[in-house]
Amino acid sequence: MTDDRFLEKLRRDPDPKFARELRDALRADERPAPARAFRLAPALSAAAAAAVVASLFLFPSVRVSAEALLDLFRVRNFAPVRVDSERMELLHSKDLGLETMLSKNVEKLEEPGPPVQVASPQAAATQAGMSVAVPSLLPRGLALDSVCVGGEAAARLTVDAARLRSVLETLDIRDLDVPGSLDGARVEVRTHPVVVQRYAHEKWVASLVQARSPEVALPAGVDLAQLGEMGLRILGVDPAQARRLARSLDWHTTLLVPVPSNATEFRSVQVRGHNGLLITTAGSEKGATGERGRTDRPGVIVMWSDGDRVYGLMGNLPSMEMMEIAESVQ
Amino acid sequence: MASEAAVFGRLTGWLAPAREADWDALYAEQLPRVYNFFRYRVGDGAIAEDLTSATFEKAWRSRHRYRRDLAAFGTWLLVIARNVATDHYRRRRDHAPIEAAAEVAGGPGPEELYERSADLERLGRLLATLPERERELVALKYGADMTNRAIARLTGLSESNVGTILHRTVAGLRAGWEEGAR
Repeated sequence: MTDDRFLEKLRRDPDPKFARELRDALRADERPAPARAFRLAPALSAAAAAAVVASLFLFPSVRVSAEALLDLFRVRNFAPVRVDSERMELLHSKDLGLETMLSKNVEKLEEPGPPVQVASPQAAATQAGMSVAVPSLLPRGLALDSVCVGGEAAARLTVDAARLRSVLETLDIRDLDVPGSLDGARVEVRTHPVVVQRYAHEKWVASLVQARSPEVALPAGVDLAQLGEMGLRILGVDPAQARRLARSLDWHTTLLVPVPSNATEFRSVQVRGHNGLLITTAGSEKGATGERGRTDRPGVIVMWSDGDRVYGLMGNLPSMEMMEIAESVQ
Repeated sequence: MASEAAVFGRLTGWLAPAREADWDALYAEQLPRVYNFFRYRVGDGAIAEDLTSATFEKAWRSRHRYRRDLAAFGTWLLVIARNVATDHYRRRRDHAPIEAAAEVAGGPGPEELYERSADLERLGRLLATLPERERELVALKYGADMTNRAIARLTGLSESNVGTILHRTVAGLRAGWEEGAR
C-alpha cells in the first residue's frame, strides 16, 4: 500500500484569529430567514423541501379543482420512500429551492409570522384556533418542557414550465416531459397552524407535532401521477421505482414520507385505529475524526393521521414506549 | 436528532432559532475540514482563508433552508466548497496555481518551522502539478478527511474509481516527494 503520510503535512488548524473573526462575521449577519410561507408547506417532509414538484406530493391535500371536497384529500395512508440525500444537497447547492424551481413568481398571500412559545397546550389551542391533543401516558419521567405554535401561511405561484424543464435537464432527467399545459398554471399552497409539544426528562425527549393537513390547489386537469413521478425523480428516486410508485399511490390520501438515510426500520403501524408509520433510526459511530467522527443518536418517529389531523411523535425512547405514548394522544 | 430533522424539519422549520446554538458546534467541527480542503485544493493559506470564508458565508445565508440533517451537514458544506473552488479557478484562469503553502504561519520553533516550510513548499509544488480532478480528490481525502465512499457520493464517481485515482495520484506524488528529498 502506498505510504501517504507525507500528504498529511499540509493539514493545519485554521488560525484562531481567522476562525474567531469569521464566526463573529457570520453571527453579525443575523438577517432573518426569508418568509416562511413555504417552510410549513411540505408537511412532514424535510428531504423534499427544496423540490417544489415533489413537495406538492408530500401531503395529500391536493385539490384538483375548486369543487373538490376537502374530505377526499385527508391523510389516510403513509408511504415511505428513500430519497437521495446527495441529490437534495445538490439542489440546495444550486439554489434550486421551492421558490425558484417552478417559478420566479411567488406571491405571499399570508405570512406565518414568527413562532410563538406558549405556556401550555391549552394556550396553544387558543393560539392555533384548534383543539390540541396531548399524551396521557408519559414514561421515563417525561414532563412538558415547551410548547410552540407556528402560524398559518399561504402562497401562490405561477408555474414556469421552461424553468422546470431546465431543472430536469440540470439533474440529467431526460426521459420525462413537463406538460405544456402546466405553464402559467397557478398553484396555491396553504398551511395551517402547527403545534409542537416537547416533553423531556434527563436524556429522554419526545416531541409531539400536530397540524391540520396542508392544502395545495392545482388547476383542473393536472395529471397528479405524472407530476408525482417527476417529483420522485427530482428527489433522486430511481426511474423504475418512481414510475411504479407514482402509478400505484393515491396521491389524494397518501402522505409520502422521505425516510432518513440512517433509518434502520420503517413499518406500517396502527395508532388509535388509524394507519401510521414507524421509523427507527440508528446512531452511527464512524471513527475518530472528520466524517468518521460523527455520532448520531438513535431515534424513533411515529406518524399517524386522525380525521383532518396529522400527528408526528419523535423521540429517543424505545419504539414500544413511543407507540404507547402515541396511543395515549387524545 | 437527524431523523427528527429529516422528517419534520420542514414542518417545524420555524423552530430553527431554538437550535441556532448548534451552529457553534458545527462551525468548530467543520471549519478545519473546509479550510484544509482549500489548503490542498488551492494551496495558498490566505486564499484558503478567503475561500473558506466565502463557503461559510454562503452556507450561513442559506441556513434557513438547511434541514438540520446534521449527519449530512459536512457534505453539504463541501458541495458549496467545491463550487467556490471552481468559481475561484474560473476567475483566475490566467493566474498560475499556487506555489506553496509556505506562508502559512505555524507554531513550532525556527528550525522545525524552516523544515516544515520547505516540506510545505515542496508539497504545494507537487499538488500544483496535478490535474484539477486529481487535486480535488486529494483535497477531499486529505484536506477534508473524507472517506472514499463519501468522496464518491459527492463527486459522482464510483467508489472504486475514486480509490483507483487516489492510489495512482498518491503514488505519483510519493515518487515526486522522494525525488525532491534527494
